[in-house]
Amino acid sequence: MKRYLKLVNFEFNRIAKVYFVLLAIVLVSQFAGVIVESKSYLKEANHMIYEELMPKAEFFLQYGPMSLERVFASIWFFGPIALCIGVVAFYIFLIWYRDWFGKNTFIYRLLMLPTARLNVFLAKLTTILLMTLGFVAFQLILFPIESTILKWMVPKDFRMDMGTLEVIGSFRELQMIIPTSFIEFILYYGAGFAVVTLLFTAIMFERCYRIKGILLGIGYGFLAVVLFFTPILIQEFLQNHYLYPSELLLLEIVMGLIVTCCSIWTSSYLLKKKIRV
Amino acid sequence: MIEVKDITKKFGRKEVLKGVSFTANKGEITCLIGINGVGKTTILNAIMALTPIHSGQILINGETIKKESFEKITFIPDAITMLPNMRISDAMEFMDDFYNSWNQKRATELLGFFKLKESDRISDLSKGNTAKVNLLLGLAMDVDYILMDEPFSGIDIFSREQIADVFTSHLIEDRGVIITTHEISDIEHLIDKVVLLDNGQVLKEFNAEAVREDEGKSVVDVMREVFKA
Repeated sequence: MKRYLKLVNFEFNRIAKVYFVLLAIVLVSQFAGVIVESKSYLKEANHMIYEELMPKAEFFLQYGPMSLERVFASIWFFGPIALCIGVVAFYIFLIWYRDWFGKNTFIYRLLMLPTARLNVFLAKLTTILLMTLGFVAFQLILFPIESTILKWMVPKDFRMDMGTLEVIGSFRELQMIIPTSFIEFILYYGAGFAVVTLLFTAIMFERCYRIKGILLGIGYGFLAVVLFFTPILIQEFLQNHYLYPSELLLLEIVMGLIVTCCSIWTSSYLLKKKIRV
Repeated sequence: MIEVKDITKKFGRKEVLKGVSFTANKGEITCLIGINGVGKTTILNAIMALTPIHSGQILINGETIKKESFEKITFIPDAITMLPNMRISDAMEFMDDFYNSWNQKRATELLGFFKLKESDRISDLSKGNTAKVNLLLGLAMDVDYILMDEPFSGIDIFSREQIADVFTSHLIEDRGVIITTHEISDIEHLIDKVVLLDNGQVLKEFNAEAVREDEGKSVVDVMREVFKA
């Protein structure tokens, strides 16, 4: 356990600089988004009300009040989030492959540590999870600050104040990233965890068997997906909606756990018995 | 004792090891010699469970390798096993963090022996100094066995002499060493046992000192004889 935690700390420190730069990009871009969108809204309001002499009521009817919704719909908000998602997705592969390639073969050291090789796997998995949850937590911290900036920028008459949950609720994409209920959180992030575990296992197949391993990895992924969706497939094609939705959900959770455990066990076996430097 | 028993290994259809067997004892320097591609590095990787074997068995003190074994045996590959952005001190700290067998006192002694600075970044080091850091990270551990893969490869004569000096110092004493090298002349007089490999097989295994004293031949002489035959 101690060595696992040390490995997590080590792995996280390796990406820490990039990670904090990403957080800074998110912060700057989203704050800039609030400022730019607010200014643009006020400029529009001034133009329409004071220059075009449009009545305030008609302006609100046509343009609506200024709210965080408008900011969140802009590239300023979703751009950096997309960037973070892209980096994490890329890092799922890089976290393994950088240890094999390049001048320094760090994988030798990782595989020669006096600890179960599964700890190396779990430490990398934990790092991905920490990065992802860190982004979510950071976003949750930013929401109230962005709301405050908006309040400073836009007079009360022109804005509609919204709570964090309210804003999240109005964007489906945002609900995927920041679920509004604990069950959804467990389901979404549990599914994400299972997918990352699956990808790691596919990488292990490739690292053990090289070209043949790519096919094995794809095959394993296909089998895992089929296994995961088995209850839904049976429900749809064989049992004619025999199960209640809650029972189906429970079965899916069980299948997800089975797939994740299988992936971890397979990876552990490959790392122990079949890995090649 | 490290026992390599009848191991075979294939890369695709090519069989690179065809029933290789030999033993390496504690307190002895065993040298694996053979031309490039003969499977020397593969043998060392197999001993450390860094590549799977198809058949045969490898035992370290009578047991197959497990996680605890890495406190008793260390491998020094021909490339450094630390991250390029690390300083030497970071690499030493990493080893101290993960290995109970890490001996900080010996590491400090080796820093002086190799004239290295703790604050130097690995990526800034010359090839010779990188090899020395690699050696330092292996030798500073209180292990029974050290495996070295081409420690003299591509480095200047002064660094080679410095590394060769390690073999006559107390830093190696009482430990079992398996070394692969092309630069046999640098350490010929220090080798206890030689395993000559060719085409994935052991051609000859002999005691270097016995050959020197009884037959008046050097290791290179025996190599010439065997390879010519």
